Amino acid sequence: MDFLSFLAFDDTGWGDEMLAGMFITLLVSVSAMAIGLVFSVFGTMAKLSHSVIIRSFGNTYTTVIRGIPELLVIYLFFFGFNNALMAAAKSLFDYHEYFEFPVFLTAAIAVGLVSGAYSTEVIRGSFLAVPKGQVEAAKSVGMSKFQIFHRVLIPQVLRYALPGLGNVWQLTLKDTALISVMAIAEIMRTAQIAAGNTKEPFVFYIFAALLYLTLTTVSSKALNSAESWANKGVRRA
Amino acid sequence: MANTLEIKHLVKSFGDLEVIKDVSLTANQGDVICIIGSSGSGKSTLLRCINLLETPNSGEVWVNGELIKMGQDKKGQPCPTNHQQVDRIRTKLAMVFQSFNLWSHMTVLQNVIEAPVHVQKINKIEATKLGLELLTKVGITEKADQYPSNLSGGQQQRVAIARALAVKPDILLFDEPTSSLDPELVGEVLKVMKSLAEEGRTMIVVTHEMGFAKEVASKVIFLHQGRIEEQGSPSEIFNSPKSERLKQFLASNLEG
Amino acid sequence: MSSYYQMCEGLPGRESWLNFNLMCEKLPDLLKGVPLTIELVSISLLAGLFLALGIAMMRLSDNRLLNGFARGYVFYFRGSPLLVQVFLLYYGLGQFEFVQQSFLWPFLREAYWCGILALTLNTGAYTAEIIRGGLQSVPYGQIESARAMGMSGLLLYRRIIFPIAFRQALPAYGNEMILMVKGTSLVSIITLMEITGIAKQIIAKYWTPVEIFLIAGLLYLVLNFLVTQLVKYLEIKFTPYLQHPK
Repeated sequence: MDFLSFLAFDDTGWGDEMLAGMFITLLVSVSAMAIGLVFSVFGTMAKLSHSVIIRSFGNTYTTVIRGIPELLVIYLFFFGFNNALMAAAKSLFDYHEYFEFPVFLTAAIAVGLVSGAYSTEVIRGSFLAVPKGQVEAAKSVGMSKFQIFHRVLIPQVLRYALPGLGNVWQLTLKDTALISVMAIAEIMRTAQIAAGNTKEPFVFYIFAALLYLTLTTVSSKALNSAESWANKGVRRA
Repeated sequence: MANTLEIKHLVKSFGDLEVIKDVSLTANQGDVICIIGSSGSGKSTLLRCINLLETPNSGEVWVNGELIKMGQDKKGQPCPTNHQQVDRIRTKLAMVFQSFNLWSHMTVLQNVIEAPVHVQKINKIEATKLGLELLTKVGITEKADQYPSNLSGGQQQRVAIARALAVKPDILLFDEPTSSLDPELVGEVLKVMKSLAEEGRTMIVVTHEMGFAKEVASKVIFLHQGRIEEQGSPSEIFNSPKSERLKQFLASNLEG
Repeated sequence: MSSYYQMCEGLPGRESWLNFNLMCEKLPDLLKGVPLTIELVSISLLAGLFLALGIAMMRLSDNRLLNGFARGYVFYFRGSPLLVQVFLLYYGLGQFEFVQQSFLWPFLREAYWCGILALTLNTGAYTAEIIRGGLQSVPYGQIESARAMGMSGLLLYRRIIFPIAFRQALPAYGNEMILMVKGTSLVSIITLMEITGIAKQIIAKYWTPVEIFLIAGLLYLVLNFLVTQLVKYLEIKFTPYLQHPK
């Protein structure tokens, strides 16, 4: 038995399919992370809001989503998102035709919703980590609210948030394995199909694990250098 | 009678850096020896070599007439050969640290009775009685059930002194006990230390408090670059220093 | 029980914006998944904790072989998704003749034991890092003062290092426990009927994702709330010095 022939890059082997799956995994992860960051901007604003009601919305989002299995959220979107969109289209635009929202985007939104809840916590924490004195110092030299936000807060928040967001990225990357239940041909799904066809589950799941390890290792290397770049000029204790 | 503590030709280096170069000293029952010197002179390292928190590269440490056995580990680093002996001798040489090092997960009283109960295997009721007595002595009885984090630095250091006394040591080692205290808290700690000296306890004190050394010490040792540059009674050291370095050191440390 | 279903009958059904009738009727079915979820979490957390202690000790040891093994272990289990690990154990191992012949086969062919094994191995890696972090966060001065008082070896670990490390690691371990509660949902993919498994079955049958998501989600939130409370209780009990001073 030749394990490598199962992974060959031709019509008989699954090497090319698996690599394509890795590309899809990366694509979903990036989309989900980006969608999550959008969620987290609103989440952070809500959580730092002065209004009790808006704040409780933010808190509910992060508490509920972080407390519920990702798989359950994915099932919710897989089975319910398209119908919800059609219902919305019907009531908002009086559009009655059947349509199918791209399942890839549905998956990215589902994972993004989860990713965003974790990002929210990271970014909120980073805002709170900026010393109050810095804002006061900016006020004292006559900076406007926007200038303070743009020139003083944002650069520091990003620096504080970078390690935490790196962790969220790793989490998001691994969470995308769950969208294999939506029949999207990312790493896991491809491995399942290949395992079923070849009756070699061990080879393909090990290979899948290796692909994920490659992705997580490369990204952690990249994140480390991003961190040291962002921390230039910051003294370490 | 055997000397309480005797150090012979002690040498300690970290890598290529020789921090202690052939230091010998003797402490008799009731001596209060103050070790002074600028930072980097090796005075803390010397103190830490005495209770084997650092193992000297060569030289001998005798406690109550007993030689602490030392050898080398697999990597050629110096290490004590008999750990039971070290543990036993360490309770004879209680140490008070610059940064207190109270155990954060225990209350003040628990800190004090920990070593008596678990190292010396003294009955807990007896140890508690002793512990409360010692806390009274350092003037901190009312904080017995508080955690160290709720105490001021001066209070923490007084607890650390009570903790050191609890093992009924023959010698008390103080490693810059007031250096990390706010100026207004230094006095309360020095007062406790002074009362211990007056009881006739044997103490070795590494300190920056020249006033304390002048008033309390029976002998002052000036350490410079790992060597004893000068030693003598407080009046000899402070009133008629001989070496240039000691004169310079005193000039920059006595003002104010 | 029949009076319960009669009560459910009275709730708004299909015509309403949420099918409350169905939610009420399916609640008992979903509740049947709770014991299995709790079982999976408790067994794997407990076994994982012991495993993690071993891994953390290896990770901190000077022995290159042990250290390297522990490093690789943690790297693999933290760097790849739990789902891969579950599949590898459940489908991957079964393809080998020698596994099928071995005395372990009665266990490894059961989704239940594969699930527990995968969860245990996974939490073992994360917990090992938490333990290592806790041990390394013990302030060196507090270890040194214990040494200076004549404490060493096991006594030093038992009285000073472990208690402080445990307290430092508690919040992170609380998070890990919650991740494990959520992690158990994955074994539904290998046919185990815990909360998520039952939820998916009902959703696929009645096509009511929102309703079932809400109840199943609520059950997980309740479980995680209990975990949080347990950790809070432990924190107050074991770290009074970190609570607000009296």
